[in-house]
Amino acid sequence: MKTIPLEAFLVVSMILFGLGVVGIVARRNLITVLMSLELTLNAVNIALVGADHHLGAAEGQIFALFVIALAATEAAVGLGIIIAIFRLKRVDSTDEIREMRG
Amino acid sequence: MGRLVIFGLFSLLAVLSAVGIITLRNPVYVVVALLSSLIAVAGIFFTAGAELVGALQLLIYAVAIAVFYIFVVSAVPWEKAKKTESHYRFEGIVSLPVVLFLYVEMLVVFLLGVKASPKGEIRRFIEELGNAEVVGAVLFSKYFLAFEVVSLVLLIGMIGAVLIGRKESQTYEDDTP
Repeated sequence: MKTIPLEAFLVVSMILFGLGVVGIVARRNLITVLMSLELTLNAVNIALVGADHHLGAAEGQIFALFVIALAATEAAVGLGIIIAIFRLKRVDSTDEIREMRG
Repeated sequence: MGRLVIFGLFSLLAVLSAVGIITLRNPVYVVVALLSSLIAVAGIFFTAGAELVGALQLLIYAVAIAVFYIFVVSAVPWEKAKKTESHYRFEGIVSLPVVLFLYVEMLVVFLLGVKASPKGEIRRFIEELGNAEVVGAVLFSKYFLAFEVVSLVLLIGMIGAVLIGRKESQTYEDDTP
């Protein structure tokens, strides 16, 4: 039953999380920033499911389901905000929205 | 052993797609890379024995959210994004040591940490009943309140997305003659 070690899941999860963080920081387009955020959420899901596989429990998969549901909500609201920003200001880059800087 | 090989293949695909997500310039290519990464992560879930989470990953992420991203990418004209730079080079280079520090921290934890491996009292039920049944039973008994709260959050998010994303010119207030 248990053939994949826990470290393998954690290594994959950590690599994907780091890449997602680099994407959030370094990306310029708003939509691609949101996509990198989805990547980090997926990495957390891999860690939860891997811990579940290791411990033989069911809670990690339930939390992964909650994360998936909240990621769907976050994508809907975030993309709505991006469309609203684009409709108001005609910009789609993160450094062009600087009215609230301070 | 075969399961480990399949896990390695899916992990390789996921990591390569993630590199594509953070490096490709064209937003449509980024959406395709994201879709590939999501499907690879669903494959990782299936090899871990979590069929329910894998199926929901395929249904919610790889269908609903990916279609939504494609819709928004087609709604926002990105010819301007192709002309300008697609990355912050300085911030990306500066953020790399932080991520490398995270990786080194993970290595230190693996080398120094103690591996706990409890018996897992639910594993017996998982082998008897199957994974989806056990997850459903625990979800609808122990975490039922959280499940209902998540449904409320989904409803509020849907209403908020509709309110934020609608066009302002379609309000029917000054319609009276």
